[in-house]
This record gives sequence, C-alpha cells and structure tokens, in this order.
Amino acid sequence: MSLLEGRRVLLVEDESLVAMMAEDMLLDLGCEVVVAMRLDKAVDHVRAGNFDLAVLDVNLGDARSYPVADLLFERCTPFLFATGYGKQGLEEAYRSVPVLQKPYQAAPLAHLLTQLLTCEAPMWGGADEGPAACACHRPKGKPSGGGLSGPTPSADDPTRS
Amino acid sequence: MPHTRQPVQSVPDASTPLASLRRGTSQLFETERRLNAVLNNASVSIFLMDDRQHCIYMNRAAELLTGWTLDEVLERDCPLHDIVHHTYPDGRPFPLAECAIDRAFPENNQERGEEVFVHRDGHFYPVGFTASPIRDDAANIIGTIIEVRDISDEKAAAERQRLLINELNHRVKNTLATVQSIAAQTFRGQTDQAARAVFDARMVALSTAHNVLVENNWESASLRSVVERALAPHLLAEVDVNRFLLDGPDARLHPKVAVTLAMALHELMTNAAKYGALSVPEGRVAVTWSLHDRDDGREQLDLAWEERNGPPVTPPTRKGFGSRLIERQLPMEFDGSAAITYAPGGVVCRLEIPLTQLGWVGQETLEGHPAR
Repeated sequence: MSLLEGRRVLLVEDESLVAMMAEDMLLDLGCEVVVAMRLDKAVDHVRAGNFDLAVLDVNLGDARSYPVADLLFERCTPFLFATGYGKQGLEEAYRSVPVLQKPYQAAPLAHLLTQLLTCEAPMWGGADEGPAACACHRPKGKPSGGGLSGPTPSADDPTRS
Repeated sequence: MPHTRQPVQSVPDASTPLASLRRGTSQLFETERRLNAVLNNASVSIFLMDDRQHCIYMNRAAELLTGWTLDEVLERDCPLHDIVHHTYPDGRPFPLAECAIDRAFPENNQERGEEVFVHRDGHFYPVGFTASPIRDDAANIIGTIIEVRDISDEKAAAERQRLLINELNHRVKNTLATVQSIAAQTFRGQTDQAARAVFDARMVALSTAHNVLVENNWESASLRSVVERALAPHLLAEVDVNRFLLDGPDARLHPKVAVTLAMALHELMTNAAKYGALSVPEGRVAVTWSLHDRDDGREQLDLAWEERNGPPVTPPTRKGFGSRLIERQLPMEFDGSAAITYAPGGVVCRLEIPLTQLGWVGQETLEGHPAR
C-alpha cells in the first residue's frame, strides 16, 4: 500500500480546470483531498484542519500563497509548491521548499509527496545541512512568525485575498 | 504676431529706482537665488517663452536635454521651435505654423501633449510637454512657461510591453493548438470520435475565451463579448438570435472570471445541444444577467441560463465535467454560488459571481501605481 494512501492533503490551486485535474491525481493516489481556490479559504482550512501534506499553487491570481506556507511551517506540515515558474519564481525565503513544476503530473507529484512524508526531500536549509533536515525545520533565513508578503494573519482576521 | 502685449522681460528694467528699494532688492536677490537653485536642480526641463515664442530662459535640465546653452539660444534670437523642433522625424521640415506647442500659446493652464524634438547633434527624442500661460496684472498673456520631459524610456518600455503582449498572445494560442495536435496524434484511432469532438470543442472554447482577453491586453474582457463568443456556433459566426435571447449590461471581467465563465457556458451549451433545448428546432435559451453592488464593496454578477421548449428534462444519472466545473469549481474559485436545476420545462442554471477586482499580483510594480 502506498505511503500516501489515506493521507489528508490540502490542495491550493486557483484555476478551476487545473484544480479539478490535480484533485483527481491526488484522489487516484489514495489521498483524502481538501481543495481551496482562494487564499482566505486556504488559510481557514489550515487553521481548522490537520493535514498530513499540502500542495500549494504559488500564484493565486490576486494573491500569493505564502501566508498559507507560513502557517504550514508553524504547524510543521510538510508541503510543496506547484508552479510553472520553477524555483526562480519563488521569493528568496521559500526557495528551500520543494517545487513541483507545472503542469501537474502524477508520478513526480507522488514522488515528492512521499519524500515529504519520509523526510527525504532535499530541502529546508539546503544540502549543506545534511540529510537529517526535515519538514519541521524552518528554512534558513526564514523570519519567524511572519511571512515576507505581509504580517501573519491572526486568528480573528483571516487574510483576505 | 503683432507686438500688442508687453513681453516677458529677461533683464530687469534698468530704470528701477534702486536706492529707494535697497531692502526690497536684497529680498529680490534672495528670491532669485532660491528660484535659480530650484530651477537649476530640477530634473524637468523648463523653458520660459515670450510672446514671439522666443525662449528667454531655460534651466540647466533644458540645456542638457536640447544640447544648446541659454546663451546660444538667446543669441540665435529666433523662435525656440526653429532650434529644437525644426524637423519631423521623417526628415521633412517642421514649420512653426504647424507646431502644437507654439500654436497653443495656451489659453488653458497645463496644456499637455507629446512631441518629438531634435537634439543639437541631430538625433530625435520623444518628449512630453506641459505649457501654461503667464499673465500680466491685467490678465493679458505675455508669455508661456513650458515644462518638457524626455520620454524615451517610457516609449521604449511601452514598445517592449507591446512586443511582449504580442508574443504572449502568439505563444498561448500556439500552445493551445499544440495541445490539440498532441491529443489528435495521441488518440488517433484509440478514442471514439465523440470523445475527440468533445475535447476539440473544449479546446476551441478555451481558445475563444483567450481571444476575448487578447483584445484587451489581458487586463480584462467584456462580459457581453465573453457570452456572445461562448454561444456562437463557431469563431466566424454570430450568436443565433432565433435560438438565444441575451439580455444584460456589459461589464469588465477579470481574465480568470472570463475564462471560467466561458467554459461554463460552453458546457451548458454542449449539454443543451445534446439533451436540452438546443437539441430540437423549437428550443430556446435565455441568457440574462444583472450586476449589483455587494456589501463588501465588490460588484456581483447574477447570470441565469434558462432553457425552454426543449424535450422533457430528466436529471442526469451521473455528474459530468460540466456540472462539476459549474457547481463545484466555479463557486470555489470566485467565492460565489452556482446551481443547476433540471426542471421539467427546461434546464436552469443560476450563477452568482462576485467580480474580482481587475489586476493581478505584481501589477502595481509593473505600472507604478496601485491596481486596486
């Protein structure tokens, strides 16, 4: 049985058609999927639910998904960015997060998600920190308690997109 | 032009009784010093013109811009036009009589425009100007003050942007066509023709939605155009007015709304053509919409798709791509709502879409002003 079977995955993707396909891929991998297409909804979901994994589209049209990433960091929830821009499209502080190059493909998606679960992903501070680095470690240079894209939203003021 | 007005003087009247104005003179000196500091450190070029369109003062920025010094310009003793604006970019002579700046001798403050000047070394450069009249105590116009800015960088940036948008249009269309071709090659003889036809029609719907965006540089799309293009049988045809009743105001849609709405309408139309009102000659579809303000300050689009005179409707046994897109994704994408009702008299679909403000992440940076 796949390691991904039964995992609760948050999928943040703002394009309807793309979200449908990514959701189907995750469902086919045996995951339980919660889809959020807007920043405020994604933030609400992270606050409300315990996720094993998350897949974040970076560009949500009128916002970027970094506030969701910050919350996931805080909760030690492993996640990846899905973007067509590649790593270079990420803000500096988030470059150590694994990137799934869009368009979505099932095999790399499954591979990266499995790595995230087994802490094998080469990330969170880069190769020089050794293989023990795990999702619970803040990436190097990551300011604590807040994202670069604005103040970390507080519980009673969900970030509006 | 007859010299009926007192021109602006570049040299103070020599007959001023200096002795009686010693205090006043030192104040004047201070004022002049301050003004010179302002003028000569300004990055915008400033020209002071008399009523014959001769330049009687220019600041340092103006000297750098034109390649001429004030002394040289004064020495030429001719309209400024003949020094900095004498030739069209195509090489034809540019007579003073045709010059918008000089002809303006503006009645209005802050008359603006764009022109192409000639540098002393012969090269052309685009400028933006603002001209305002100077009046004497009796409100007679006695001169003009002209601010001029080199806008070469802005022109070049606009040109780059235009080329990039053309390239973007080209690539998006090409990519869609490539995907279509890959599908055609991949599924040749392996998929039933009906599935291929559905796929092709969806690709065309997506491509058509992008056409509407291209018309407006990807910034927004006309709601009416999106509806009309989605309902037209093909790219070169108009909406069949015997079949469709369209009624609603136009509005500007965010590109994301435009594309998803176009896809939703395409799915409704496909369904109607297969099972609903468009499957029989007498069937009709009314697409009506309205806009209203929400409490949160956004506008909301309420759109109804109503089929009538079609065959009796039976609810589908399984939910397909269309209903998933419309009833699940569309509300999630735009924080709105959508419901399809399989009423016996005809399918009805009601959409409520809060309209996303136009603009995207980074647009402020690109345009130098807030997009929202």
